[in-house]
Amino acid sequence: MAEPGAAGPKMRLSSARLAMLYAALVTVLTSMLLISVYLVTRNALEREIAAVVRAELADLSDDLRLGGLPQVAATLRLRADSWGRTGAVFLMADANFRPVAGNLSAWPRDIALRGTEMVEFDIAAHERGETVLHPVEARIERLPNGYWLLVGADTSERKRVLQSFGLATIWGVALTALCVWLVGVAYARRTAHRVRDYATTCDTIIKGDLTQRLRLEGSRDEFDALASAVNTMLDRIEQQTTTLRAAFDSIAHDLRTPLYRLRVRLEEAQLREELPREAQELVAPALEDLDRVQRTLATLLEIARAEAAGVATHGDAVDLTALAANLVELYQPGMRAAGLEVSMDAPGPAPLTGNRQLLAQLITNLLENALKYVPSGGRVDIRVHARPGVVSLRVADNGPGIAAADRESALRPFVRVGDSGARATGSGLGLSLAAAVARLHGAELMLGDNSPGLVVQCEFPVADTRRDAPDGMAQVS
Amino acid sequence: MHLLLIEDDAEAARFLAKGLRESGYVVDIAADGREGLFRATEGSYDLIIADRQLPHFDGLSVIAMLRQNGNRNGKQTPVLILSALGSVDDRITGLRAGGDDYLTKPFAFGELLARIEALLRRGSQPDVTTRIRIADLELDLLGRKVTRAGTDIDLTSKEFQLLEFLARRAGQVVTRTMLLEAVWDLHFDPQTNVIDVHISRLRAAIDKGFEHPLLHTVRGAGYVLRDAGA
Repeated sequence: MAEPGAAGPKMRLSSARLAMLYAALVTVLTSMLLISVYLVTRNALEREIAAVVRAELADLSDDLRLGGLPQVAATLRLRADSWGRTGAVFLMADANFRPVAGNLSAWPRDIALRGTEMVEFDIAAHERGETVLHPVEARIERLPNGYWLLVGADTSERKRVLQSFGLATIWGVALTALCVWLVGVAYARRTAHRVRDYATTCDTIIKGDLTQRLRLEGSRDEFDALASAVNTMLDRIEQQTTTLRAAFDSIAHDLRTPLYRLRVRLEEAQLREELPREAQELVAPALEDLDRVQRTLATLLEIARAEAAGVATHGDAVDLTALAANLVELYQPGMRAAGLEVSMDAPGPAPLTGNRQLLAQLITNLLENALKYVPSGGRVDIRVHARPGVVSLRVADNGPGIAAADRESALRPFVRVGDSGARATGSGLGLSLAAAVARLHGAELMLGDNSPGLVVQCEFPVADTRRDAPDGMAQVS
Repeated sequence: MHLLLIEDDAEAARFLAKGLRESGYVVDIAADGREGLFRATEGSYDLIIADRQLPHFDGLSVIAMLRQNGNRNGKQTPVLILSALGSVDDRITGLRAGGDDYLTKPFAFGELLARIEALLRRGSQPDVTTRIRIADLELDLLGRKVTRAGTDIDLTSKEFQLLEFLARRAGQVVTRTMLLEAVWDLHFDPQTNVIDVHISRLRAAIDKGFEHPLLHTVRGAGYVLRDAGA
């Protein structure tokens, strides 16, 4: 059976997979870049706060050295309002953690008192009538006389910046992924669309319309290059086909006319009573030879026409069961006389659309083949079967069959398989005409082994909507 | 019977005309489409034989124009098309254009003669006939029964169709291709003589055991159903 073509429903989109892979890669790389920028920024901001706190502590220890605890307390009092402006937090407390100076109202609870590490806590501030918690990072130093000094900075600004930055990073990654994905999908769709477009056009061409060409988009890309190369090839094929068709048409006329005159002259000679009997007797076999030449020519032309027509898309409604029955009825007496048993098996009507005469010719050729090659005592079984979408024809015999190696060549014109005795009667065109007719109807003639014998099978695709076509029966009288 | 032969091949025309005259027809020859159309509209012919490929007008145009005229005058001269174009589709186009029969070149003269005879006699025996008698053979077309000398003869339905076709043309030669076309609706020649086997079976059924055979073979042409004694 012929493949349904590249335009079938289950096309694997290699371009789509490539685009998706590319999108995933770009997304991962972008995320890595943005996340490392985020981490570096956060680190820098944290270091900056630590540096500010360190600098403040250094200033205050200068005060301690110069003026002792009172000087430190004075400086803190001077700076008491600086929290509002710079976010700096100070508190000096006595040994019992009672505030002495600074901008905190109380020593924060539950914080570690180790000196070198930063501690974190929240302070509550009243802003516009609401209580807002501000995160603070601070260092705690021991002062003389059991006093404590806390110096810190409000980190809410930093947190806000980092939060915005983090959000921006997430959005950035998401938008990048979305854009890359959209571009990928668009690219894949465009590629798939063009390839499908090409496949559809090629299908039309295969079905016999050689005037079709692949569409050029004028983008001068690799697709246009491919399409233009294919189109050039098609131009050449079309030109050759046209030449062949013209040659066949002139053969039809130029050979038939002289053959016709030859026949006319021979028949005239046959009617001349004055001719000697020996001469008269030469005319009859000459006429028979002429008949054979004419039949061969007609068959060749029919094959050429069928092949050139591609796949017929319209035709008559034909019931293959009725047609086969008609032909079996025609051949049965002749086959019985030749000692062959004939059986026909067709469970019901088998409607299809096609050329009735050519289909009849196909079946006839198969029957004549059997009549020619199957020896007396053999049998020929014809089966026509319809199932949804397919009408199948099967002609099987138990004759000499065709060796597997010869089956393909048996379908070519002028190839005869078998002994030389049978060779004399056939033109060697029967099976190739049958194959051409099958192809014209979208089917493939398949030769197989009936062990022993030959089985010829042919499956015609039919449109499901025509399954109940009733006129197929009326076609056959 | 007066025939018009429109054929541009002078030699073929001469032979066909000679043969037809020998068979008792009066034949006029026109060498191209224009002359053919002129003669056909002017003269009164019983049958026109037209080649399909002709100079000036091709055979199909001649037929189309004749049919227009003919329909006005209320008569329909039968036309037999001769053609070197032999495919099934060519044949259908020819018959659709108004041809009554179609013969592909080269053909046997006997085939042409048989078809001319069939076309000329067409209509002389009305289709409404329900009974045909040839000597002591009687066909009941409605009951699809056959008797010979009062004895019932069993025939298959195809054998009956075959006999009916021959009986309606009793006395005329019927060729194998005419039988294939009429009884099996096949418009090509099988390579083996399948028809001969059917005829011999039919002959066995209607002639066997009777003194005067009715179904005769005409050598080189076909068959005829005829009362030899009459």
